[in-house]
Parts: sequence; C-alpha cells; structure tokens
Amino acid sequence: MNITEKLAPIRKGLLEFVILKIVAGDKVYVADMLRLLGPTEFATQEGTLYPLLSKLRREELVDYEWQESEAGPPRKYYKLTQKGRTQLSTLNDYWKDLNRTLAEFGN
Amino acid sequence: MQKVVNISLNGIAYQLEEPGYNQLRDYLERAEARLKDSPDRTEVMNDLEQAIGEKCARVLSPHKTVVNEAEIAKIIEEMGPVESAEEKAEGAKTEGAAETSQEYVGPQPRKRLFNISEGAMWAGVCNGIAAYLNVDVTWVRLAFVLITIFSWGGMFFVYITMAFIVPTAKTAEDRAAAFGMPFNTEELIGRAKKNFEKFGSDYRWRREWRRQQRHWNRQWAHMNEQMRSFSAQAAPQMSTAARAITGIFLPIAAIIGAVLFVVWILALFSLVTQNNIFGWGLPHNMPMWAGILILTMLYFAISAPLKMVRHGGHQAAGSHPGWAALHGVMWVAFTALFFWIAYNVIPGVREFVDQILWAVGLTVSNISETVRLESWY
Repeated sequence: MNITEKLAPIRKGLLEFVILKIVAGDKVYVADMLRLLGPTEFATQEGTLYPLLSKLRREELVDYEWQESEAGPPRKYYKLTQKGRTQLSTLNDYWKDLNRTLAEFGN
Repeated sequence: MQKVVNISLNGIAYQLEEPGYNQLRDYLERAEARLKDSPDRTEVMNDLEQAIGEKCARVLSPHKTVVNEAEIAKIIEEMGPVESAEEKAEGAKTEGAAETSQEYVGPQPRKRLFNISEGAMWAGVCNGIAAYLNVDVTWVRLAFVLITIFSWGGMFFVYITMAFIVPTAKTAEDRAAAFGMPFNTEELIGRAKKNFEKFGSDYRWRREWRRQQRHWNRQWAHMNEQMRSFSAQAAPQMSTAARAITGIFLPIAAIIGAVLFVVWILALFSLVTQNNIFGWGLPHNMPMWAGILILTMLYFAISAPLKMVRHGGHQAAGSHPGWAALHGVMWVAFTALFFWIAYNVIPGVREFVDQILWAVGLTVSNISETVRLESWY
C-alpha cells in the first residue's frame, strides 16, 4: 500500500467535516464550495459532493433554500442547521484533542 | 454532419451531438446505479442534472446551440464519478471489492435478502422475503403454500434450498443491509456447506425435518390416492371417442409442455445474459434472483394444470405405462426440436449456449478447486 492510498481515506473521512465548516459561513452554492475546495487537499467534484450534501441534509445537519439565478433555474444554497452547528463544534473539539494527542507523542 | 439529440436536464432542454448524448446517458445511468440504495437518489440525480445543465449552458451562445462530444466529455470529467455518501465510510478497500465483483455479477449489487428467524415458522425464508418485498409475511406464506401445491411439492425444494443458501440475518444491520446478494460459486457452496453442518448437528432441526418429511409423504400419498380414485371413477364412463381424444391430447400436451419448458429456459437465459425478459426489464429494485424465482414459480404454476390433466389422461386411457413413456419420449423430442430451432433462429441464444458451457466449465473447476483446497487442510 503506497502513501497515497493511505492518505485517501483520511481525506475522505474529513471531507464531511470540511463541508460543515464551509457551510457554517455564509449560504453557499455547490459551485462556490468546489471553487473553495479546488486549490486545497480536499479538491472534489460534483459527483461526490451532491450525494454527501443530500446525506447531510437527511441527517438534518444542513438545509438549503432556493435562490433565483440570472442564468438558468433557481439554485440550492446550503446553510448549517442548529443540529449541524452542535455537531461541528463537537468535531472541532475532537479535532483539537486529536492534534494535542499527536503532538504529545512527538515525532 | 452530426446527428443531434434533444434532451431535458431537470426541466431545461439542450441539444447534444449524438456521441456526446450517449456518453452522458451512460454517465447518468452509472450514477443512478451507484445511488440505487441511497434514499437521496432522486434528489441527487436532479442535482446532477441541473449541474450538468448549467455546464452545458456555459458553452452555449446564441451562435452555438449544440453541445459537442468533446464538451460533454469535459463536463463528465469535471463532474467526476458519482459515489454514494453511504459507502464512503467503509473506505477504499470495500470500494475496490465492489468494483471487481461487479465485473462478475454484471448488474449492480442490490438490496440484500436474509432469512429472518425472529417470528419465523420454520427457517425464516418467508419472513425474509416478506421483509425484502415489504409485504405482510402471511401473503408470502400463502403464496409458498399455493405454489407448493401447484408445483406438486417442487416449491418445497426451493424453500429448502433457500433455507441453506440465503444467509440468516444476525444483526440489525444485516436486516437493513442494502447490498446485492453475492453470487460467486465459492461463497454459495461454502455457505450451503456451513449451514448443512449446523443443520446436521442441531437435534431439534433433525427431528423437525423428519416430522416434515413424514407429513409431506403422507400428503403426497393422499393426493395421489385422490387422483387415482377420481380417474378410476371417470375411466369406465369414457367412450371410445373420449379415449381417442385423450390419445390426441397426449402429443398436444407434450408440445405445450415442451414449449413452456423451452420458453422458461429461454426467459432465464435472457434474464441472466441481458438482465431482461425478452426485452422487458425487471422493475427497478428487483434483483435478478427474484426474477429467476418468479419465472420458475410461473413455469410451475402454468404447467401444473397441464400435468394434472395429462395425469388424468394416462389413467383414463387405460393406465398403461406405455402412455407415460410415449409422452416422455415426445416431450424430450419436442424440447430438443424447439431448442434446436431457438439455437438457430433467435440471435443471442447461440452465444448464450456457448457462454453457459464456458460457465459450467468454470464452475466445475471452481468446485474442484475448493474441494482440492479443503483436502489440503
């Protein structure tokens, strides 16, 4: 197993966390999310993002509203729900704990 | 010059070059298959269509009204492969495994069938089917009993086979599992073997099994007895003309029986190879094995009355064993004839027969491999 294969599941697992972080800001459209993620390690595609967002919505962590766009049909703008906010803060705490643990073990 | 296809993506019309259209259709079909078990399927498909539509709109202008093949290819690449959010948690390994098994199975994995022993009358086969089809278990049991009667007990063996082959749900996740039934020979044989060992060691089962066997033997004898007495009453009253009619009916019964048999086999062929029955696709969430089961039930149900009448015919015509033998020979001859015609006339049957021979060879070598490995340890 090479290093890329080992890193892929870590990124995959964290993608949901990252999405919650992005949605926590202003209401965002999927194309905006892709643009934000594009230059990062979490660069992803619609094929992955839409199913993930639908799952998050089913879990009531995010919600969306329709907004008119100048080109084409109205678009879905996603935002964080109260439940999502609680989960995000749990995830943030957990992430900090993980970092601390890793730091404690040193190199 | 390129042929153009008009399509609608989430309610907006676009014109695509035909090869591009084919690519896009394949992409969306793959996406839908991937999302088959996701409760968000419709929503995600709509989202994807809209995203594709917007990407198409971006390359169009008042002077360019058609999306060409290269642009579609680029759009599909941008969209990326669709992966269900559910399978993500299981990591890369499962994904790889799913990919390889798909090559063997052909159709995508689907909802999984289990035997459910909670509240079961027997092995939980009916219970599992009821849960799978989302109907009341009483209906499934009723269907099983009816088909068992019509198929002269044939369905009973289907039940026994399913009791051994279908895995038993052990956890709540099992019951909720939304995967396809694995269908490679090794796993199937292994599971049947394991279940059989358990079955052999379980005293209660053995006793139950014997009880059921006795019960069935009794019923079978009773049914035959009734049939015989009915025919015996009818036979003396039959005129020579009626006997002649019976004589004519026998070959007809043989032909109809042979036709039914050939149609059944061909339908199974078509289902296994093309995942449809003579062009009719299965309902979206019906797995192939259910199709096979339904076809088999239909075959038994349709041919049962024929068998019954024929049986009466034998008796009426003097109960001579020669009649049965004659019928058997005619049936075999007609079946062979129809198969030969199908082999030569219907395209695909020839390839399929070759494929079957290949698959049989593979299965045999698989089994011998398994057996060989077992003896090693």
